[in-house]
Amino acid sequence: MTDMDIRLTVNGRLQHAKAGVMRTLLTVLREDFGLTGTKDGCSSGDCGACVVVMNGQVVNSCMVLAAQADGSQVTTVEGLASNGELHPLQRAFGGTWAFQCGFCTPGMLVSCHALLSSNDNPSREEVLTAIAGNFCRCTGYQGVVNAVQQAAAELRSANAEAVLQHD
Amino acid sequence: MIDSGAVGRWVSAPGAYDIVTGKARYCPDLDFPGMLIGKLLYSPHARACIRRLDVTAARMIPGVIAVLTHADIPGENSYLYAEPDQPLLVVDEVRFQGDAVAAVAAIDEQTADAALRAIDVEYQALDGIFDPLAAMQAGAGQVVAGKDNIMMHKTYRTGDVAAALASAHVIVENTYRTQWAEHAFLETEGGVGLVDADGGVTVYSSCQAPHRDRMQIARALGLPESRVRVITPYIGGAFGGKDEAHVQIHAALLAHAARRPVRLIRGRRESILTHVKRHPFIVHCITAATRDGRLLAVKARAIVDAGPYSNATHEVLNKFGEFIGGPYTVKNLEIEKIAVRTNNPITGAFRGFGAPQAAFVYESQMDDLARKLGMDPLEIRLLNGVDTGTRMYTGVVVREGKAMKASLRRAAEMMGWQQRGELGRQPATHLRRGWGMATILKGSGMGRGLPDHAAVLLEMHRDGSVVLQSGAADMGQGIVTVLAQLAAESLGVEMSSVHVVRADTAQAPDAGASCASRQVMVSGNAVLRAAVPIRDSLLQVAAEKTGVARDRLVLHGGRLHVDGQAHDLTVAELARRALFRGYPLQSEGRYELEYPADAPEVTYRYSQEVFQFCTQIAQVLVDCETGQVAVERLVAVHDAGKMINPGGVYGQIEGGVAQGIGYALTEELRVTEGHTLNASLENYVIPMALDIPELEMDVLEMPEPLGAPLGAKGIAESPIIPTAPAIRNAILDAIGRPLYQLPMTAERVLSALDAAPCADPA
Amino acid sequence: MSAPDYRAPELLANALGIKREFGADARVVAGGTDLILRMRDKVLSPKVLIDLRRISLASISRHAGEMHLGAYVTLSQMLASAEVRVAFPALVEACRSFAGPPIRNRATLGGNIVNASPAADLVPPLIAYDASVVLASLSASRVLPLMDFFTGPGKTVMEPHEVLTEVRLPLPPPRTAASFTKLGQRRSMAIAIVNLSARLTLDRAGQMSEARIVLGSVAPTAMRARAAEAILTGNEPSDEQFEQAANMAVAEISPISDVRSGKDYRKRVTGVLVRRALMAARHKLAEVGRND
Repeated sequence: MTDMDIRLTVNGRLQHAKAGVMRTLLTVLREDFGLTGTKDGCSSGDCGACVVVMNGQVVNSCMVLAAQADGSQVTTVEGLASNGELHPLQRAFGGTWAFQCGFCTPGMLVSCHALLSSNDNPSREEVLTAIAGNFCRCTGYQGVVNAVQQAAAELRSANAEAVLQHD
Repeated sequence: MIDSGAVGRWVSAPGAYDIVTGKARYCPDLDFPGMLIGKLLYSPHARACIRRLDVTAARMIPGVIAVLTHADIPGENSYLYAEPDQPLLVVDEVRFQGDAVAAVAAIDEQTADAALRAIDVEYQALDGIFDPLAAMQAGAGQVVAGKDNIMMHKTYRTGDVAAALASAHVIVENTYRTQWAEHAFLETEGGVGLVDADGGVTVYSSCQAPHRDRMQIARALGLPESRVRVITPYIGGAFGGKDEAHVQIHAALLAHAARRPVRLIRGRRESILTHVKRHPFIVHCITAATRDGRLLAVKARAIVDAGPYSNATHEVLNKFGEFIGGPYTVKNLEIEKIAVRTNNPITGAFRGFGAPQAAFVYESQMDDLARKLGMDPLEIRLLNGVDTGTRMYTGVVVREGKAMKASLRRAAEMMGWQQRGELGRQPATHLRRGWGMATILKGSGMGRGLPDHAAVLLEMHRDGSVVLQSGAADMGQGIVTVLAQLAAESLGVEMSSVHVVRADTAQAPDAGASCASRQVMVSGNAVLRAAVPIRDSLLQVAAEKTGVARDRLVLHGGRLHVDGQAHDLTVAELARRALFRGYPLQSEGRYELEYPADAPEVTYRYSQEVFQFCTQIAQVLVDCETGQVAVERLVAVHDAGKMINPGGVYGQIEGGVAQGIGYALTEELRVTEGHTLNASLENYVIPMALDIPELEMDVLEMPEPLGAPLGAKGIAESPIIPTAPAIRNAILDAIGRPLYQLPMTAERVLSALDAAPCADPA
Repeated sequence: MSAPDYRAPELLANALGIKREFGADARVVAGGTDLILRMRDKVLSPKVLIDLRRISLASISRHAGEMHLGAYVTLSQMLASAEVRVAFPALVEACRSFAGPPIRNRATLGGNIVNASPAADLVPPLIAYDASVVLASLSASRVLPLMDFFTGPGKTVMEPHEVLTEVRLPLPPPRTAASFTKLGQRRSMAIAIVNLSARLTLDRAGQMSEARIVLGSVAPTAMRARAAEAILTGNEPSDEQFEQAANMAVAEISPISDVRSGKDYRKRVTGVLVRRALMAARHKLAEVGRND
């Protein structure tokens, strides 16, 4: 069985990899593309440390075969900042102590980032539902709720400002 | 006082940028040229004799670079820091499911897996010993040949328990059972071994005690410690579960044999099967009180299932006995502590170190007692609580204990304890609501008589930037942040000017383990001490330059202040001048935990003397048809002495409570005949985001007078301790039935409901 | 063991062709949330993996009196579909109770069925809604009631050369409501201790012309509690009726003990959940009545 050619657009960049069938999106991201921000916490879809966005949806990258992801658009934690500037969510995570050890943070950030793309003012319950597949053993989840709501407020006011400037 | 504004504020962790951008590198993220993948082989049996172990075929596989058995270990084939009785690789007998039989290193994961499959082992399964009570009996056979199954049997007595019991008005007597619990740190254990050009090794280790790792690695390799270097990269949680060595020694052995870098990371299942669990206890406890609710005596007997090896069993049982009386004045106490070897999982350190099991017992006893006496649970606790100056049954005099009662009162106020029934005790036919509290104390530090010191190296450069070398491992609990804050505070610079190097034994002096909630005290004080000569140099230069007396000068925010007014001179400028003059800008600070010299005799060995006090109150809703318990509210009031890093303190409390809710309700390693049935995050059920209520927290600041930097003391362990008994007491309040076993699963709560209700509070 | 061959055909016919050639040695992979784990654990070692992602099997559409859901429809798709929500609310409740968002984005309707897990969350409501499955093969397709699909844990009547392509759900008759309840050890990421669905149809007189109670996790396959259903049929819904039916459902099962629950607890809470599910269905009927 020969390896397959996999093409992915990861964080806006087209990337190639050779992958055997049983290699996952997670291992290709980490080993072939050096994107070790995405973590492996259980290899079984139970912890959410490996969550990335694939074609607009959060997925456990440990449960997606690289072959299945061929041709996809993928966003990882490394793709959240743009031009070296942190996304408001990333800043808020640091400021609210939404993590301690930080191992769950990449997956948690990606899940929350995806939530903010469809909901600009999430309630506590909505944040918790969005991270219901992301396990944190250190800190619990209140800091994450605070961070998401803080970032949402910042994004809303930035948008409002942008609209005003446009008018 | 020098105030840079770094202490007591919500600051970001120095590693925050790395973490939120995915740049933080943990052991599994490390990569080196030519790096191999290491793996370990385990026995399918909980107990077996190894008849044949042949690795020839595995060694022949192309891409397999090293295959090790016990015969290939150059140094000692045993580890554990206190009593090294666990083999790194089994010699002839497997004694639990997590005993490693062989180690391999190969060019990639698949080849390593193939090597494991190619190892030829003939096991002869042996009858295991799985019931600790049976293992105690004569003729039970030995778990470890030549060693008594009773690993420890000690009794501590104070006062006259028999007389106190005889004179008691009321007695509660119950048997409690607790479970094996799993740390489930999100990053599994890992290590990366590298061979240095000179034959020494460097090991990146996901650990809590890098200097102790160095000792153990050197011992296994037969190398002097000077040739072993241990570095901690980012670490993804530990909670006591990485206090003991795990695979970092094997990674070093493989790298040493292969002469190439080896990365060895445990898979999740492997992790759950192999590392220590929280000890399961069986505790029989009698608590006696007077008619008006004053505690007269506590008599308890604890039996723990230790698994086959010592790990931290002696120490955990010792702490259990030290805290079984709770934060109460108990004059007469007897605690019998028994640890038994079995072929079950190994057991050891886990956040709280015996105190969570003790608290489940004594706080349940307090509520049972209160019910018998018709007293309010708050009242009976306030009546018996320790205070500053109380001499406890261990002989320890509480130096600062106001937080015991203060935390009770504050938590009661936050929960609305007096009005608690108003919300409705029965919101629907099948639902019952209840409220329960638990208040605890937990010591910080290793305990009187044990080595408890740390040193740091601090250096300011000519640009005013500061580098701090500390050997304290940061597993996420936040010691790096706290040390950076303290360094910034005492040198009058911004926190961003301080760079804390993550623990590296080649550069940092020994700080001991990050355990026992001790690093804030020992390493924190070491930083304050290290800062003194540097600050002196800076102020000396400043005094010379300005002609102003030194006592009018202060360093703050990177600038000199004269009589409180900012001056043109920056700390960087002062540093440059100090170096020019040859004044020292580097310093070692060393601190050893202090104990008061004039205190009365401490009769309980290795007692801790700095206490974390806290109270938690839970409001639960019990579904009486399914037994499900929902924690609706949880109030947590903790004393931190002084908060250095509030973000970290609140995070520790919330995380501890979340772990406590799991410990109370769902978390339990299911072990049958030595085999773990739920070795996955799917089946070992830990509460997730939707299962934890929005916690209501408050932090008291009652500065610790001795041994605590700026009065700050550790807070790491206490948050998990009161949660389970608070929930237990809330369930009791809700359904009128007591539970005596953890976790209080829906199934067990429903069984409890089948029993007759205990007498209503009078 | 060698890694399987991976194919992602663009036409169903090609997928069926591979199935014809390899039979049971070819496994269909959709979301992969279960299959990948089982392959990693060496429980399954297929020679060929057929990825359905390029084949259009992810549509939700309405056909005379029926809704057709492609086997590749994800749980998130069903959650987001207003049509599914309105017509089959119990199915949506089951989707919501399932795992967490990242898994729901990958796990598919077909996967949840074909795995034949006794604890599959979607199966009780699907059976309650009279779902049938379309099993395609190169030679022919057949449509089979889902109720007749399972033969045991991990076992179905599907032939080695067949592929499940579609689930058909008849639109429920008027005065019908269904509910889903699940008891797990936590609110997300939980495998059911018991999961079940109840469905009631009232006649014009307000009597239960039809009742369905479909139980999951208490038998080798999802099952209907037929004796319990019989108690209800022809009667007016009442608490007493529901209680009797619940007790009967308990008598009809003999579940096993596993890491999640003992068998006695399973039995007992099945009764509780059946009663609650029936009450929830009645509650929905009342709401529909008010809206009519």
